[in-house]
Amino acid sequence: MAQEKKKETNMKRRWGMAIDLDKCTGCGQCQVACSQENNMPLFEDDSEILKRVVFLDVMKVTNDRDKDAQYPNVKTAFIPKMCQQCGGNDPDHPKPPCVSVCPVVATDVGDDGVVSQVWSRCIGCRYCQASCPYEARQFNWWKPEHEGSFKESLNPEVSVASRGTIVKCTFCSHIWKRERDKMLAKGVKDINAVLYTPSCVAGCPTGAMVFGDLNDPASEVSKLSKDKRAFRLVHTVDNWDEAKKAHLKKNYPNPKVYYLSSQEWLRKMAAF
Amino acid sequence: MNKLERKDVIKLAGGAVLGTAVGTVFSGAPFLGLQWLVEWTQDQYVPGSGDEKFIASICQSCSNKCNLSIRMIGNRAVKVETSNSACPVGANALQLLYHPERIRQPLKKVGGKGNSKFKPVSWDEAIKDISAKAEKLKSENKGAAIAAINGQNAGLSGQLLARLLKTLGSASCFVEPGLATLSAAAVKATQDIDGSLHYDFENSDYILSFGARLVEGWGEPSRMNKVFAGWKARKAKYVQVDTICTRSASIADQWVPVKAGSEAALALGIAYYLMKMGRGSNAANFGELAKIINADFTPEKVSQLTGLKPEAIEQIAKDLAGAGNAVAVAGRGGWGVSSSTAEFVAVQAVNSLIGSLGRRGGVQVAVNGGLGEPAVDAAAAESIKKAKKQSGLDDYIKNGVQPELLFVNEADPVFKSVYGAPLAEKMEKTAMVVAFLPLINDTAQYADYIFPTLSWLEIPAAKGKDAAAVKTESKHAADAILQIAKKIKGSDTAFAWNSFKDIIAAAGKTEIRGAGNLTIPADVMKAFAAELPKKLAPAKDFPLAMIPFEAALLGDGDGLAFPYVLKGLDDTTLTGRKMWVLMNPETAKKHGASEGSRVDLESKRGEVGSVKVHLTKTIAPDVVAVPLGFGHKAYTSYAKGKGVNPKLIMSNDIDSVSGAADWWYTSVKLS
Repeated sequence: MAQEKKKETNMKRRWGMAIDLDKCTGCGQCQVACSQENNMPLFEDDSEILKRVVFLDVMKVTNDRDKDAQYPNVKTAFIPKMCQQCGGNDPDHPKPPCVSVCPVVATDVGDDGVVSQVWSRCIGCRYCQASCPYEARQFNWWKPEHEGSFKESLNPEVSVASRGTIVKCTFCSHIWKRERDKMLAKGVKDINAVLYTPSCVAGCPTGAMVFGDLNDPASEVSKLSKDKRAFRLVHTVDNWDEAKKAHLKKNYPNPKVYYLSSQEWLRKMAAF
Repeated sequence: MNKLERKDVIKLAGGAVLGTAVGTVFSGAPFLGLQWLVEWTQDQYVPGSGDEKFIASICQSCSNKCNLSIRMIGNRAVKVETSNSACPVGANALQLLYHPERIRQPLKKVGGKGNSKFKPVSWDEAIKDISAKAEKLKSENKGAAIAAINGQNAGLSGQLLARLLKTLGSASCFVEPGLATLSAAAVKATQDIDGSLHYDFENSDYILSFGARLVEGWGEPSRMNKVFAGWKARKAKYVQVDTICTRSASIADQWVPVKAGSEAALALGIAYYLMKMGRGSNAANFGELAKIINADFTPEKVSQLTGLKPEAIEQIAKDLAGAGNAVAVAGRGGWGVSSSTAEFVAVQAVNSLIGSLGRRGGVQVAVNGGLGEPAVDAAAAESIKKAKKQSGLDDYIKNGVQPELLFVNEADPVFKSVYGAPLAEKMEKTAMVVAFLPLINDTAQYADYIFPTLSWLEIPAAKGKDAAAVKTESKHAADAILQIAKKIKGSDTAFAWNSFKDIIAAAGKTEIRGAGNLTIPADVMKAFAAELPKKLAPAKDFPLAMIPFEAALLGDGDGLAFPYVLKGLDDTTLTGRKMWVLMNPETAKKHGASEGSRVDLESKRGEVGSVKVHLTKTIAPDVVAVPLGFGHKAYTSYAKGKGVNPKLIMSNDIDSVSGAADWWYTSVKLS
């Protein structure tokens, strides 16, 4: 098979996120901010988990099922979970698990590493949903509704999805485009000068969520990603030695969302 | 004329068909049809576009007044940008602003009370009727039969109502019980000041919370979120006393697990060790309290009540004494707070022993400037003097007179108070109930008039800040009250302002004072010391302790009308309209419950059900943890009929000082 040529790009940024679980109080503001920004459908009974569509889920986890767990030696924590923006481990040809299975290029990896999802291109085959290691993709089984005057608050930059399509978090890439247009209006043409903050991160009241450029060693997010408390969800491969990893070329998700915790049980649970 | 041949008919028909086909194509109809087809198969809604702008506003949902930036597309508000300064309530504001079930014009009751049937009425007509009723009651010397209930965050509109009532001859203006009323009662009882406790969290380096779930909506959530981030940054130690592994307990640096309802006993137990370490307090009557502690709150007794080892209690006392700026916090709960005055006094006693009163990082007293006292005529003054005094809302519902005119201002006491049912009965008998609310909640069902009020974004704020455009007939409650007051002869002179904006300018600033001279109300503490062991002793009929907790964003029920809040509930809080309660697996085994089984909860007050049981070791043995905020009978189709309201069976013993029921701890059984 002929080797694909590496794509030429001016983009030097690689967007990533770090979430400090020691600071997350589970207040749910990231979820509300995300839902508002991304036009999440509103159902009268959104407490029905099977019916619910959200990009960001604040998961409540606890170690109470551990063999030796006994009150009061138990803990709970909250994990805000969205699309982990996998990159695959071949930097020249980033292929996250979802992208390689999409038959209609409804999902792809951008120059900035963000895994896109174009609802209107999606044919609803749900291969990507099955391949996602993080259950971060949601399928609209029902028509996404916005009852009556709730329609007034819809954001025009994010299209309202149709029934029968897959949707997911895109790191609010439309906000990046908004910021880019503002820079262009000021006459700045360098796309690397454009910085932005996704809605959930902007909303986090305790500063637990940090967003930025993983390629910039000076950025907070890239420092946090190398912190000794940092880990990634269901990604034990991070702890393997390089020789063993080499066998796995092109075979692990390599997400760009990092979690930080000082609690051993949580790190173990996330390792799966 | 030639005979029409068959051939010609075919030609003509063919021409017509061709012409129609060409015409149809050029008319664009097929393309429109295709578009319809696409829309029909995809069901796609396209939001309207417009110019983007940001308006600066101030969140009015609590007293912290966060700055907000609202993103507008044309004249639609599409996002509340919080820039790390606000809380989920502010972020949720659009859900109220554009709620399809928001009241858009004043409503008048049709048919019997409690049936949710209303018809639109004009502002003028409603105000005329209400002011006439008030005038009539006053002229008949029945001013004392007018009452008002303000929500915890009613603010200036609440002060206006109190003012209006005074001019009519009534002192029955109450605030829904919660942290604000408990803290005010404690300050009044210990310092004889009309104020509330102000904890200087921004400068504390050791925070000991007696069940106050500080990051779960307690106090001013936006302030607490920032304060919490500050603690993490400067490595202050946050210690949480709680019976269940709540969000606050799990994120705190240390969790002190105590037996249900024993927080005050722990505070006095810590005070015992502090005194033993040679710490003294210059609070008046402290000697009396010391006697009570030495007799009833010795380490052995406290250990028995709290389930903690004496060494563990001693260690907390040592940590507290050794910290630089330590503070102890009272007021159990998050959004919904319930406690007793005695508990506040016990915690303040700890603060006095560690020298935290009035100190940096300690506890101070906030005194609200307010609007000053109105001029009251002789008849009204006499009426206030003669009337029966009630210390708080629950006390009023239980022991007060039957009101003839009742105002409800941004509150939901029928849902939130443990005396909700008797209040509803009282409201049914009340000649006129007037409510100021944006959504019809459980209480508004019993109203005769409902005035639509504003969402937090529409409220006119300070200079230079705009509000999102008001599209309905809604007004701020303060403006509505002002209009009513101006129509009442005798009261009108006490309301010189023209609008809410004038009132904001006229209101005095909140002043933070030191909290030096504490007086221990010895009789309150004596009664408490005698009662507590009896209350916490395991009852034979009701062997389980029911303790409340709150789901994120839902709070004490106010969040349930908003669909984005429903999106955040996990699968052991609410599924398919059924609410879950949490129990330790051992407790469940003992009482015949298992994961997912349906049970009813029964206290001596009655029964609620059915609820599902989730087993988790994060709950103490012999405890049922029950979520607050469910079981609405109204409050939009999003909230109605989901789960059950545990307040219906919660403890209803009234605290004599605060006049509020202490519902935190209830003995229950499964049935």
